[in-house]
Amino acid sequence: MQRDLVSFPLSPAVRVKLVSAGFQSAEELLEAKPSELSKEVGISKEEALETLQIVRRKCLTNKPRNDSTSDTSCRKCTALDLLEQEHTQGFIVTFCSALDNILGGGVPLMKTTEICGAPGVGKTQLCMQLAVDVQIPECFGGVAGEAVFIDTEGSFMVERVVDLATACIQHLQLIAGTHMDEEHEKALEDFTLENILSHIYYFRCHDYTELLAQVYLLPDLLSDHSKVRLVIVDGIAFPFRHDLDDLSLRTRLLNGLAQQMISLANHHRLAQVGNIVQITKPERMHSTVSNHTSGI
Amino acid sequence: MGVLRPGLCPGLTEEMVQLLRSRGIKTVVDLATADLEEVAQKCGLSYKALVALRRVLLAQFSAFPFNGADLYEELKISTAILSTGIGSLDKLLDAGLYTGEVTEIVGGPGSGKTQVCLCVAAHVAHSLQQNVLYIDSNGGLTASRLLQLLQARTQDEEEQAGALQRIQVAHAFDIFRMLDELQDLRGAVAQQVTGSSGTVKVVVVDSVTAVVSPLLGGQQREALFLVLSVLLVCCSSPGLALMMQLARELKTLARDLGIAVLVTNHMTRDRDSGRLKPALGRSWSFVPSTRVLLDSPEEAGTSGRSQRMACLTKSPRQPTGLQEAVDISTWGTSEQSSVLQGEQT
Repeated sequence: MQRDLVSFPLSPAVRVKLVSAGFQSAEELLEAKPSELSKEVGISKEEALETLQIVRRKCLTNKPRNDSTSDTSCRKCTALDLLEQEHTQGFIVTFCSALDNILGGGVPLMKTTEICGAPGVGKTQLCMQLAVDVQIPECFGGVAGEAVFIDTEGSFMVERVVDLATACIQHLQLIAGTHMDEEHEKALEDFTLENILSHIYYFRCHDYTELLAQVYLLPDLLSDHSKVRLVIVDGIAFPFRHDLDDLSLRTRLLNGLAQQMISLANHHRLAQVGNIVQITKPERMHSTVSNHTSGI
Repeated sequence: MGVLRPGLCPGLTEEMVQLLRSRGIKTVVDLATADLEEVAQKCGLSYKALVALRRVLLAQFSAFPFNGADLYEELKISTAILSTGIGSLDKLLDAGLYTGEVTEIVGGPGSGKTQVCLCVAAHVAHSLQQNVLYIDSNGGLTASRLLQLLQARTQDEEEQAGALQRIQVAHAFDIFRMLDELQDLRGAVAQQVTGSSGTVKVVVVDSVTAVVSPLLGGQQREALFLVLSVLLVCCSSPGLALMMQLARELKTLARDLGIAVLVTNHMTRDRDSGRLKPALGRSWSFVPSTRVLLDSPEEAGTSGRSQRMACLTKSPRQPTGLQEAVDISTWGTSEQSSVLQGEQT
């Protein structure tokens, strides 16, 4: 396989040593043994082993393809499969019918939605409402999931969430009253205030390092709590505005953060909601972040 | 070129490899450029054997020169022009996407780049009946929109399903995954594993900036690079090297497999002048052979909401500066609607 070594996720130090020893393509590495490689190139045995594992894993995944045409571990799917997937997944309703109409049913799963506006317009309120709404049971049209709330501004008020949750329970009880269905009654038994609050996982991040760390640690959290269907980042631009003087670093970090969030949303079937406070010059919105979101 | 290994070519034994390596000759390039008399003396190998060895290695690793007439004939046979399904865009692109070339759509957020990609995918899969590989890197692909575009072309559900099956979707949110996907495509074509029907004719990468921009920045220096392969050696930052690796993959894929590659790029603000310019810098601007800029017009209002101005900023065949107005709400519907777009609100 004539694949250049640059395209493998190796550490830069190892890659520089490999290139100076004359290795350029993956084919040449495949035949080498770890001990030989470490001696020839001048890297430690563990690094050599790791390098060979990475290269072999990438190269050998192509070989089984000619044996089994039906790839069960298919990383690729056709648009038809994607369509079927989209039809089955639900939306997270916002309880504001006008907003739900614009969004086409509610906040979509597997996508990133951005909410921006001037201070005091109601962004955090909407986020808190969504954190409650994601938990609505399926028989009422919800996704029955849990929520992760990452707060950078400290504007999360538990008392307000209690109000929202209580109102939601009352609303659902009214609906269940009209349906007179056993399923609805049973679902409502679990939908209590304590349960709602205990299924919102709250994290407070004080600066951009903590925010980045939290987002990059999310995959582990999500594999532990597989029912999470919503990740909210309240104030995604806030920590980046004050601490960072290096603009190119800020752009890179924001882009990396956005990609990580999109990737999470896609793999774990979540909805990601990012919240941006509009700063004084409304025409100069952060184009870097809005480039990456595909919602409002 | 490769490291010298025993068995690389007839006449290269383990003993010879060890002797050469002890003199600092590790790769084919080293052997080709070394002074063979000196090497013969120091290593104790016969001069004739070394000369023969060098001749064999050079024959094995050299590229074949082509003469221009043959190249032209080959291009005439192998190049295909794939219509994008959008009449006004086809006019800018000189009839459509050319196989063997990389075409780029640039625009700010909400300018319609993903809509162009979806439209091209739907058109190629349905009207041209060819396979499409759609690499999505920023989550903009919605199969429901693809279905909408197909439903505007045909009411037959089987045709719609068939077209959807010809569009292969790959999600690649970082550059290594994207390089993997491109490599997989090569492997699949090499082993002649075909999809439901036919081979992939169009690769859409939406967007390149999403995977590359987290890597760029810092000590990146902008310079004029003439040969892509040289870049990988003399790049000052690994991010730039990866970007050019991706560029090389896309271009060689287009050329070797006869595929039309369509990529999208974002806009950034120039630090000094404050104007908007395509992202990824000057180094990337040499990669696509054609570049189309999508812009929202200045005036707001009901008629302006779905109007976009497409401008040709780089092309090997047409004069730059050509502009066409397009209406993204009616893209991909019948060809006649492009005439009616003036009357629609």
